[in-house]
Amino acid sequence: MSVPILEVDQLCRSYGKVRAVADLSFAMQRGQITGFVGPNGAGKTTTMRIAATLDIPDSGDVRIDGVSVLVEPRRARQRIGYMSDQFHPYPNLDVMEYLDFFARAQGLRGHRRLQTVRSVAGFCGLDTFTDRPATGLSKGMGQRLHLAKTLLHDPQLLILDEPAAGLDPRARIEFRALLKELAATGKSILISSHILPELGETCDSVVVLEKGRRIVAGTIAEMQRSVAGQQSVQMRVLGDGDALLRFLIVQPEVADVAVDDRRARFAFAGDDEGLAQLLARAIAAGLAVVEFGRAEADLEAIFLSTTKGNLQ
Amino acid sequence: MSDATTMPLGLGLWGRLSDRLNPILVRELQQAVKGRVFLVTVLLALLAEVVVAVTVTSEWRNTASIGRNAFSAGLATLAPLLLFVVPMQAYLAMTSELKGGVIEQLLLSELRPLRIVEGKLAAAMVQFVLYLAVAAPLLTTSYVLRGVDLPTILFCLCFAMVFCVAATTFAIAAALQGTFPAMRPVAMLGMAFGLGVGSLSMVGYIGSGECLRDVGWLLRSPDFWPMTTAMVLACLLGIVLLALVAQAFLAHAFENRSTGFRVFLLAVPLVLLGWILVMQGTSIRREAVAVGAMQMAVLAAVFLLFMVTELRDLSPRVRAHVPRHPLLALLVAPLLPGRDRGLLCGVLYALLIGCLGALFYSSPPPSTGMLGWDFAGAFWRATWVAFAYMFFFYGLVRALRSRLPETLGGNHAARFLAPLLVLLGIVLPLLFDGLVRGRVDDWHVGHLLNPFWTIGIAAEGRRDDVRTLVLLVGGLVLLLQAPAMVRGIREVLAASAARRRGSKAA
Repeated sequence: MSVPILEVDQLCRSYGKVRAVADLSFAMQRGQITGFVGPNGAGKTTTMRIAATLDIPDSGDVRIDGVSVLVEPRRARQRIGYMSDQFHPYPNLDVMEYLDFFARAQGLRGHRRLQTVRSVAGFCGLDTFTDRPATGLSKGMGQRLHLAKTLLHDPQLLILDEPAAGLDPRARIEFRALLKELAATGKSILISSHILPELGETCDSVVVLEKGRRIVAGTIAEMQRSVAGQQSVQMRVLGDGDALLRFLIVQPEVADVAVDDRRARFAFAGDDEGLAQLLARAIAAGLAVVEFGRAEADLEAIFLSTTKGNLQ
Repeated sequence: MSDATTMPLGLGLWGRLSDRLNPILVRELQQAVKGRVFLVTVLLALLAEVVVAVTVTSEWRNTASIGRNAFSAGLATLAPLLLFVVPMQAYLAMTSELKGGVIEQLLLSELRPLRIVEGKLAAAMVQFVLYLAVAAPLLTTSYVLRGVDLPTILFCLCFAMVFCVAATTFAIAAALQGTFPAMRPVAMLGMAFGLGVGSLSMVGYIGSGECLRDVGWLLRSPDFWPMTTAMVLACLLGIVLLALVAQAFLAHAFENRSTGFRVFLLAVPLVLLGWILVMQGTSIRREAVAVGAMQMAVLAAVFLLFMVTELRDLSPRVRAHVPRHPLLALLVAPLLPGRDRGLLCGVLYALLIGCLGALFYSSPPPSTGMLGWDFAGAFWRATWVAFAYMFFFYGLVRALRSRLPETLGGNHAARFLAPLLVLLGIVLPLLFDGLVRGRVDDWHVGHLLNPFWTIGIAAEGRRDDVRTLVLLVGGLVLLLQAPAMVRGIREVLAASAARRRGSKAA
């Protein structure tokens, strides 16, 4: 079995009395897009910064392609592209000059530098913005430029901290497509985001953090299976939503009932037969059921079922 | 990734030439060319030079005096540009890069911290050349009017460059203090005040004509080379030290930030000795070495404060780069990070100064020294007592440090508390004198905690018993620290052995 592209090993980091990351371990396989999910203050950015060699842990280690970020930070840096949640381009530089500068900083020279800059700008859809001031780009294009800069040295692992934050829906969809294209070229991507449905569509696997600890990690399919025992069910009725609530809260094997207008979502611990009986009871109770069925656990459901929302 | 063939980036002559330049310099030039601030500053400088030229030439008396005045005025206009504007621009650029996280992005690239500092300095040098070009017509006119000779012009401009580099390095190092957000306002104020006062003083010094008189005197003085080389050496050492400070702030926390400073500390006495041997006559070498040794003791006091308050153990990164050969590992041990090895480095430094003392002080003094008394002897006595105090106080500081957490915050806390410890040693006996004895006029045993007063007493040679006592206490405290120093060496040897085992296993 090949070495994981990212291996986080018993990582701990505290800021004063606050434990930002506590004994965190997980691994990420090559070519995967892994979502890094957790409430605010869960330790996502701290972990990513340590992996990017920009912070040091109190204990534990992170290995990028087998290279420890503590022992050989410079070698590790060659393997990673880190896109922070902040993007502050230099004033008085246009897009190409900005990329050209970072290409020089990455040690690229002559025609190779030129080709790389052109190729990366083209890949990120910046072709038509080359002579625009880097500070005058829209948020979406700015994020593309930020990503392009991250790709210049052809890193194996991309660490993206909230790359879609603040983007409008179109920019988000385009950015997501860009990430999929990158994954198709063999890059591994660790991405944190608060927009869970998007991560669900983009990621192969997720790591859920809370209070600096790993709550759950695995592929989306594995997680869906793991929460299947407490499958979520959706139900919509005509008429009174309160009657629906009154009916559901007294039913066996039903929990976590949430009613919004005439639509209810609840956890059901029984099997398919039990579910059929529940529907029959609902109709017998006079509820005009127009929708009834299992809701597939999406990333949001997984997140809600695994975390408590505790901040620190 | 697709090719975008229609893009306006060609590898022309500039592209090929700039490949050889520091990327930071290239970027700053590109920004400057497009930026308004730079253009406005240059135009203002040009305007100021024109105004100065017109003002000076309007007071026509004779060509020589007008030449001298024109040169002084030109130089005085140049001074704030080189000593305030250029460093301040470097400071502001570095601060904004720090705030925006751009520096972090640079550190993730192939650019090493020292290369970033070099790039910033190179950009400052380009500005220096530009401002010089702005002032060139006025300076040339002053030469044509025979007010100032060529050596004076060259001397002034060379020093202007050295001061500009030193001020810019200071600005960069100060800006990097901003990595600790609490330090940002302090750094900004210190920076603006330091550069403001420095450049204004220089303007006053040049504008009053004192500068030209002093330079003229120096150029004709038999002490021209010793004094000039001493000033240049001091500036260069300052620049190297500030660059090391800036580099340390930019380096990864686990990278070796200490060795540069330790090598610097050990190199300074050798540089000083070289300068004395080359530049000073045999008649005053003995005294010059003694004065130098005392200065080196003061330098060591500052360096040791940082060295003995570091984290104790080697970081994983440094451990992975310890020399495999045990003898080499043993030799470099005092230069590697860690407070135990820091103290060991201090001991080596004291030994080095001791060797200088043995070499120079043992030579028989002239029957009536330079001032009719044993000048060198007084300085050497002060030096030894200063070292004894250093080891005594740093023994206490190390004890304090071991009670603080093994974090960078612990280092900073110890560095802040150490001077307070010395201050306490000075103030408490004085308070006792003032409040209990009712007079503070003579030294007594309570003032043993006051290093400055006691060093003075020891230097005068009046109280040999006090000197012996301080030396004994300092030596004893050092002896008590010996196990820690041995531990520091053993850690390096263990890391070296681990690397050898790793190589064999591989």
